[in-house]
Amino acid sequence: MFTDEALDAVSVRSLWRKSHQAAQDSRGCQTRALHRAEAEVQTVSTAVGCTQTELQERAAERLFQQNQNEPEPPGLRDFLQRVEDTVIRELVRNARSHAFDGFQANWEDHSQQVSRTHVCKAQEEGLHVTSVSWSCTGSVIACAYGRIDTGDWSTDSSCVCTWNLDRRGLRPNQADLVIDVPTLVTALCCHPSQPALIAGALYSGEVVVWDTSRIQDPVVAQTGLSADSHREPVHQVSWVPLQKKGEFGVLSACSGGRVLLWAVDLEQGRFVQSASYALLQQQAPSSSSSVGITSMALSPWDSDTFLVGSEGGLLLRCSFSSQTLAAAPFESQSVTPRAPAVFSFRPRSGPVHSIHYSPFHRNLFVSASTDGLAHLHSLLQASPLLSLRVSDSYVFQVQWSPTRPLVFAAATGQGMVQMFDLSRRSLRPAATIKQGATGQAATCLAFNCQNPHLLAVGKTDGTVSIWQLSADLTEQRPRESDQLEKIANQVAE
Amino acid sequence: MFLVKQAEEVEARMKRIAATKGVIGTLVVNPDGVPLRSTLDQSMTLQYAGQLQNLVALARSTVRDIDPQNDLSALRVRAKNYEIIVVTGDYLMITIQKLPE
Repeated sequence: MFTDEALDAVSVRSLWRKSHQAAQDSRGCQTRALHRAEAEVQTVSTAVGCTQTELQERAAERLFQQNQNEPEPPGLRDFLQRVEDTVIRELVRNARSHAFDGFQANWEDHSQQVSRTHVCKAQEEGLHVTSVSWSCTGSVIACAYGRIDTGDWSTDSSCVCTWNLDRRGLRPNQADLVIDVPTLVTALCCHPSQPALIAGALYSGEVVVWDTSRIQDPVVAQTGLSADSHREPVHQVSWVPLQKKGEFGVLSACSGGRVLLWAVDLEQGRFVQSASYALLQQQAPSSSSSVGITSMALSPWDSDTFLVGSEGGLLLRCSFSSQTLAAAPFESQSVTPRAPAVFSFRPRSGPVHSIHYSPFHRNLFVSASTDGLAHLHSLLQASPLLSLRVSDSYVFQVQWSPTRPLVFAAATGQGMVQMFDLSRRSLRPAATIKQGATGQAATCLAFNCQNPHLLAVGKTDGTVSIWQLSADLTEQRPRESDQLEKIANQVAE
Repeated sequence: MFLVKQAEEVEARMKRIAATKGVIGTLVVNPDGVPLRSTLDQSMTLQYAGQLQNLVALARSTVRDIDPQNDLSALRVRAKNYEIIVVTGDYLMITIQKLPE
């Protein structure tokens, strides 16, 4: 009934590979196609927050573009062929020629003498002129009144007067504009591009900005007496270009050893402290005293460097970007003070009253102190290059001439202004401007950069004299820059 | 092909002049005052072409008033630290050279 049977194995061939290779086609779909549309977006308005790349200062000038497709003008090639050799020959000859050596064209009048054009005097008696500054247009002279011999705290009031020298009805005995100030004014600086703004420093430690175009209340901004601001008389104030082009901040230095950089908010009328520097001297391992600053100079060449002169005769080169913190902690301040000093020059024997950078050479500056000498320093060496005897008494201010690289002027305590010309062999002054009684000291002077013949000198009798300089003190001679370069490269003994 | 070669030749000649010692730049101006070729940038080219047009016309009229048979061949203007050399003909070639100290 049952028998064994052997069946063949049944195999089912794989359809997987074939099914993948086969083409597929949709015949029908159960779901319908979806319709889509934008109903709403979350962002309402867009604005650019910030960009990483900086704006280009000036669009790069393109080289002259000529129309490539235009047919060449007829005869251009022949013209150039004719002319080329002649031109090259003349150019080479010109480069070697000595025909004009030493020749100087003189287009302007030559006045051989220094003469006084105006004497301006304020109404109040008993005030000394502490600082003069020309406006950026060169026609207005602003003078600060105060006293230079106050030792203790004083409560005298003073004023700031301006005279417009280009005005016809100039009355030397009455100022065009008088700003009354409750305390003594110690320093003044006119804004480099806006002729109406003047920054001033007060004996009480405050820094003020006046706007002379406002009739009612010229005070635009004033630092109050707070922990952030100065507590000691501020001796120097100047406008500093900030990083954003066209904006200026105010830098002030006081005898408490602090240098503060303020940003001025003109609409709101207030100062915002943006950086603070403190100069301290280590006297003992645990204590340090502040270095009283009497003068300060900003470099026109390097926006990071500034020079500071102190009451003790120290002369220091400082840097705005220094990151080391000041040694002693100051009481609660919003901006932490930093120690800016980078390099120290050979100290003088008296307070340094004035420092000025040369506008023609990046490494030179001149400093004046109460020992009656003016020292010419190079930024690279600690010892001075040249030491000139200006007078037997104090020297209050030195300033380089804006037109002649080798000339600078110094205001002395005897009332004279000495002008030195370094191109001369002898070290005696090239010109001496003397006027009035010798008891009155000349405390400040300022060259007019727009009109380089004018020099303003302020004295302790309250008068400001405007002097017109002679041609040989203002006109540049050939090769002066080379001579200055040679002086700067000397190595001091 | 020929035109390209010509253009190159003009460029080559101007470059040769501009490479001479002390030369700041050179430009060629047509008689109407329109600059044709130049090695300086746009604004300076236009400035030199515009300013010198009048001066060259004045110099030419001066020479011809004195002697009608004569004509201006070159004009040189020397300033404190550079010199401008203008050579006239069918076109004007203006070269500015910096003077040695």
